[in-house]
Amino acid sequence: MINFLFLLTLLIYLSASIFQTLSLAIGNRTETPLLRPTIEHIAFWGTTIGFALLTLFIALWWLQQGHFPMTHWTDSTAFFAWAITLIYLIIVRLTHLRTLGSFVMPVAFIAILISYSFATDTAALPESLQNYWLIAHTTLIFLAYAAFIAAFGFGLMYLMAERRIREKTHTLLQNLLPSLGTSDELGYRCTILGVILLTMGVIVGSLWTQYIQDVPWKWLDAKVISTLMTWFIYVAQIGIRQFWGWHGRRAAYSAIIGFVAVLCTYVGVDLFLDSMHTYR
Amino acid sequence: MNQIVSIGTSHHVAPIEFRERLAFSEEQLIESLQRLRESYQVQEAVILSTCNRVELYAVANSRRHAEAPAKMLVEFLSRYHRIGVEALKKWSYFHHDLETIRHLFRVTASLDSMIVGEPQILGQVKAAYDISRSAGGAGTILNRLFAKAFSVGKRIRSETTIATGAVSISYAAVELAKRIFNTLEEKTVAIIGAGEMSELTAKHLVANGVSKVIVANRTYERAVKIAQKFKGIPFAYEDDLGFLVDADIVISSTDAPYYLIKRKPLADIMKKRKHRYMFLIDIAVPRDIEPDVGKIDHAFLYNIDDLEAVVAANLKDRQQEATRAEHIVSEEAKRFHAQLQILEVSPTIKALHQQFQQVAETELQACLGKTELSNKQEAAVASMTQAIVKKLLHHPVKNLRQAVNDGDADHGQYVHALQEMFALEANEDEASGV
Repeated sequence: MINFLFLLTLLIYLSASIFQTLSLAIGNRTETPLLRPTIEHIAFWGTTIGFALLTLFIALWWLQQGHFPMTHWTDSTAFFAWAITLIYLIIVRLTHLRTLGSFVMPVAFIAILISYSFATDTAALPESLQNYWLIAHTTLIFLAYAAFIAAFGFGLMYLMAERRIREKTHTLLQNLLPSLGTSDELGYRCTILGVILLTMGVIVGSLWTQYIQDVPWKWLDAKVISTLMTWFIYVAQIGIRQFWGWHGRRAAYSAIIGFVAVLCTYVGVDLFLDSMHTYR
Repeated sequence: MNQIVSIGTSHHVAPIEFRERLAFSEEQLIESLQRLRESYQVQEAVILSTCNRVELYAVANSRRHAEAPAKMLVEFLSRYHRIGVEALKKWSYFHHDLETIRHLFRVTASLDSMIVGEPQILGQVKAAYDISRSAGGAGTILNRLFAKAFSVGKRIRSETTIATGAVSISYAAVELAKRIFNTLEEKTVAIIGAGEMSELTAKHLVANGVSKVIVANRTYERAVKIAQKFKGIPFAYEDDLGFLVDADIVISSTDAPYYLIKRKPLADIMKKRKHRYMFLIDIAVPRDIEPDVGKIDHAFLYNIDDLEAVVAANLKDRQQEATRAEHIVSEEAKRFHAQLQILEVSPTIKALHQQFQQVAETELQACLGKTELSNKQEAAVASMTQAIVKKLLHHPVKNLRQAVNDGDADHGQYVHALQEMFALEANEDEASGV
């Protein structure tokens, strides 16, 4: 039952990603004016339904495991996708800019795909780690990642729109991309949100170490160092923007660099380095 | 039979010299509508008079001749504006029934406009209709027709994109600016040089929220003169372009024979304004702005050709969309025409039914009075008479409806024949009613 639910969620995320991308691709064309709104609707409602199912899946999974599921790759990537979708839906709610979905939904889909492929039943977690610290720490970190991915999406939208304006694409007035100023501003806000969440997540994490006794803790953990580097990249980005007025194209590029750093921290460290944060 | 007819002239068929002679002022409109009804046996009328077209829509009775209403309208226009009948016939078009409906739908949907999709015409048609309605010109048929025309216009606007995309250089510039800045509020536009196009563009930008206008000219007096139009700030420049630091949008149209804005100085200016976006519009020929300026980060340069290409792409798009819109118009016009005709024949059908029913009822009562039947038998006889009435009327009614649906022009004669032969008194007013 729970496996079927997960498969269904996966398929809905796949179709939502496809329709999101499709709506961006056909945005320029006007031969099919009724088709585009339909596709946009399917994409958006697919995303919403997918999110509801994913929430249900995580809740059931939590019940089945008996503790907050954050041990295995399955748990982690599913939660990652959940955070991405949540942040996306909040942004849509606030700005009505659905186009962002064309960039973030494929990332969420890939996360669920990984989660689904690694699905397993065995996931033991030391008793001492099963507490609210874990929930607070991981939720904050994943929401921060999701905000950074939204910033990355806005960065890509900025670069695409800028290229169209610069190349003087004749149909550039018919696409769905927001104005350069809008992408830039919203990307920046997402970055700030991400930095705040990440800072809180790291603080919660470091406070938590005070209470863990039976798991050996070392400060020079690969994940910790990598996270601090990522944090620094984003803080530097905000600082340079504030003091030197770096924005627009440079900000878009640094959002992409930040995204790579997030991926390295999240996935890379686990694959290539040893860390106590490693998912099994 | 009532006929919807229209006579009109537009920029497609007649020069301005003719159109202006045919134009109606608002007082003339009201007067004409009254005169049409009183002296010309026109039941309903709406007159649309804009700079591009003058059109008269009317509902008239054409029982005697199909051509009669047309002649009547030509006669009216000829007398009212003292224009020869020949000239009227040469420079105007005449439509009736389905063609009139289709024409009005096309006009309202802006398919007949000089620039397809331009939005003003809908308001103009609405105004003409409102005047006519308050002057008692439009009645039940034209009310229905114009209401339908407005809804078809709305449908076309929502289902096609004929009304989107800038189709003038100045609007294209505004649309582009909206693609760069997240808002135009609090933005500053600088106009360098003079020219109708740059002033028009600045005007549109101000209408879209731009709050500050700098008017730069070689001579201060000219700058002041132009600045007055926008409550702008006049500025006389020598070779120093420092005032561009504040400018988010630059419109240049001087007659300088060399590049006024070059890459190097502008790059410095961009640095000073902390690389905030700058949208430069060069509408001068020869050009005022060095093309390489467009390579500076966050500076976007469009010259007159670039803007015209955007406009051309939009116009082409509108043309394509217009074809789709024409299909919608044809379909809606046919449907509306059929509905109207059904409405015209339905009183006759009703009267026919009533008459037959009455005869059957009278005869039934007479028959039942003479015989003694059980309740059950009475009911059987009653239902038999009902069935006879129904079956007798089945074919005539079916064929009449069929004739209407097929768009058979003879259905008027059918109705007429039925009315004469059965001595029916179908109420004509009811015919046009809802």
